[in-house]
Amino acid sequence: MLEGDQDQEEDQGGLRNDGRRAAELRKIRVRMGVFGQADGSAYLEQGNTKILVAVYGPHQPRGSAARAGGKNVGGIINCQYSTAVFSFSAGERKRRPRGDRKSIEKSLQLRRAMESIIQLDLYPRSQIDVFVEVLQIDGSEYCVAVNAATLALIDAGIPIKDYAIGCTASLIDSTSKNDEDSSHAAGVVDATYMEECSPGATLSIIALPGSSNDATKGLVVVAQGAGQRLHLSRLEALRNRALCGCRDIRNILDRAVRQHLTVHSQPSFSTLHVID
Amino acid sequence: MDECPPITVRLAVDRTDMNLTAGENIGFYTPGQEVSSQTGFMRGHGTYVDEEETLRASVAGVLEKVNKLISVRPLKTRYQGEIGDVVVGRITELQQKRWKVDTNSKMDSVLLLSSVNLPGGELRRRSAEDEQTMRRYLQEGDLICAEVQSTFADGSLSLHTRVLKYGKLSQGIMLKVSPALIKRKKTHFHNLANGAILILGNNGYVWIGANTQEKDQSEGGFTQDLSRVALQDREICARLRNCILILAECNILLTDTSVTYAYEESMKYTPSELLQSEAIIDVALLTQQRLSQF
Amino acid sequence: MADIPLSLAEKTFILHGVDANFRNDGRIRNEYRAMELETKLMPQTNGSARIRLGNTDVLVGVKVEVDTPFPDNPFEGKLEFFVDCSANATPAFEGKGGDSLATEISNTLALAYQSPHAINLKTLSILPHQQCWKIYVDILILQCGGNLFDAVSIAVKAALYSTEIPKVTAATLDGGKPDIQLSDDPYDCIKLDAKNFPVLVTLCKIGDNCVVDPSSEEETCSSASIVLSTLPDGRFTSVVKMGHGSLQPTTLIKTLEIGKLVGIKLNASVMESLKKEDALGTNRPIFGFLR
Repeated sequence: MLEGDQDQEEDQGGLRNDGRRAAELRKIRVRMGVFGQADGSAYLEQGNTKILVAVYGPHQPRGSAARAGGKNVGGIINCQYSTAVFSFSAGERKRRPRGDRKSIEKSLQLRRAMESIIQLDLYPRSQIDVFVEVLQIDGSEYCVAVNAATLALIDAGIPIKDYAIGCTASLIDSTSKNDEDSSHAAGVVDATYMEECSPGATLSIIALPGSSNDATKGLVVVAQGAGQRLHLSRLEALRNRALCGCRDIRNILDRAVRQHLTVHSQPSFSTLHVID
Repeated sequence: MDECPPITVRLAVDRTDMNLTAGENIGFYTPGQEVSSQTGFMRGHGTYVDEEETLRASVAGVLEKVNKLISVRPLKTRYQGEIGDVVVGRITELQQKRWKVDTNSKMDSVLLLSSVNLPGGELRRRSAEDEQTMRRYLQEGDLICAEVQSTFADGSLSLHTRVLKYGKLSQGIMLKVSPALIKRKKTHFHNLANGAILILGNNGYVWIGANTQEKDQSEGGFTQDLSRVALQDREICARLRNCILILAECNILLTDTSVTYAYEESMKYTPSELLQSEAIIDVALLTQQRLSQF
Repeated sequence: MADIPLSLAEKTFILHGVDANFRNDGRIRNEYRAMELETKLMPQTNGSARIRLGNTDVLVGVKVEVDTPFPDNPFEGKLEFFVDCSANATPAFEGKGGDSLATEISNTLALAYQSPHAINLKTLSILPHQQCWKIYVDILILQCGGNLFDAVSIAVKAALYSTEIPKVTAATLDGGKPDIQLSDDPYDCIKLDAKNFPVLVTLCKIGDNCVVDPSSEEETCSSASIVLSTLPDGRFTSVVKMGHGSLQPTTLIKTLEIGKLVGIKLNASVMESLKKEDALGTNRPIFGFLR
């Protein structure tokens, strides 16, 4: 399995609670094709945040979507964001898996993110279902859900423009005003639950990082802030930090997809067609 | 009569990896990756052109190039129909003058009343009475085997069953596998040596038909033989079913050859033993070996 | 349940197969498919288990909480089941689509565990009338490929077996208010006595015969099924009939007898693998969904 990149060495002082550096991701573990019955599925772990996604379709619209989408010429994307009731960290328990305001909002935002990458014009009058099941939460769960959904779409063979990648950047300490040079001043990426709860602001970004190496070029699709107020001057740096995280995650996921292809391709897959 | 075979409860740590064919890395393309920035190529399936006129992949898979047409084929996807394909499908809905058929493609396919043979092989215009008796020929849930007659602009398919070998399927087992596992061949109907009928639908639906005595074709294939199937033929069907699932699980292409090989290699196990992972691996490995000898 | 459509001929084929004691996948009537079990795969819960039986995939998480006991049962703890049919299993479960099935399963489970022979809720009491443990058993159905009830009950049994409840070091009444101290050591905990936990055995009536561990296709062919919750010693804690069909009294007796035999065997097999997994120690690798 693949690990978050560890390129630079730093002194102990700049480390976060879990021993990571500011721009370091948690360990990412991927599995595609978890379920046999769904058209596509993926399981993604970022640290202790664990998410399962199943994709059904494209198929004939059924249920409420069929009636509502009568005039709709393009395809319909149907998303559901659901959280297992036992997913919270120790001691807590969620009351309902879905249907609350937060879940509905997240379903909607997930649909926005998916609409930005799926080439819907190819699927007139059909429906694609994306079902997210959060199994365990330790921060950044919405971003991880988007990453997992992207992998599930790839597994289902549904054409997408680019990976939609989510990453959080969080300003954790107010003390960093004193030392602007500290790497934490620009925020820490891939925030854990503890970091999201700390006094400060968390920015969640869904971006299409593209395959280019210039991270700041990525297209931001959905951005969402939470926590306390944030001075406008620091937004730029925070956004760039999140975009860097997106690029790193994209590289890791891309490697995982290639690995999956290598393992699961049939021998005949390669011999039939010669690439020049 | 009331015997209880032992119940196997395996642990996850003892799981065996079913993937035998560790393919090599042969330059895969992933979504967003640049395929070519030159103009003069035609955009095929699995690719798109971005704002900067660069051709990029939109699925994860291998590149296929036919002259100027570039496409990327994903590992698995829904069935994309082509004219002339043999498909197995299930009726989902009856509409005026047409049946809707689930064929594992992105929209339900259509079987027009005028594209089926009427009972008795009569050739005439379809009347209003025919429309009213449509459910007598095919109803919801029925399985059919058909050929793709044409494709519509939105990608849905129109089917026909106007050759006697197509039509309603009788007793047997239907399996769903990935359409990528089924290669386009000249024939998709196989009368196996053991007497069973195997239809490898291009859409990934596989039909194992029980050995039934000479079917009366005069009724246009709408009658079903509901008599008891002999135990021996039933065993053949069950064994074939498990063999096909083994091949699908281990990512081996389904052809009449591979199915026959797997069937022969499986003879040392009873059909129910073929559900255990040890037997699955064994049969798949032996089949793989025999296939690679040619 | 999400019924899959079958044609008349397919149904006939299955029906005659069950008659001949040779099912579509080669099993005989009383034969289970191989299943796969893993426990303790969700570290943020007190206990967890996942089972895969054919295409059926169920994940169970157990959480414990300190709660006040029911006034009419002051010496007992609480046990609650919650089933969530994830839309991952089938799009038909989206929104509230799976709710009726979920309620059916959780009610059946509650019935099965109601008997004091199954679980002794008194062991969950901390301070009578004041404080007790409440065990939430949350079941997440990720995929269904037939025989959900049995799979769920096995996963529940395994998850409860793996459940660790923090040890209470001191429980006193401080001016009428309960004061509870939990052990700080995460390894210092008590386990539930899983010896007598029941499993559900579904006997699916197809034609004149009953099969165990039905596949989804077989479930479609069946008009009635009996769900028995059997204790390891062969006693039933509940018998529930599902479906619209009916059974003759003689068939019922015959069914119960088969169910008893199968239930004893199933309980023993599950227990055996749980012990085997325990013997691997705390360092065993956890696969979860990664393999």
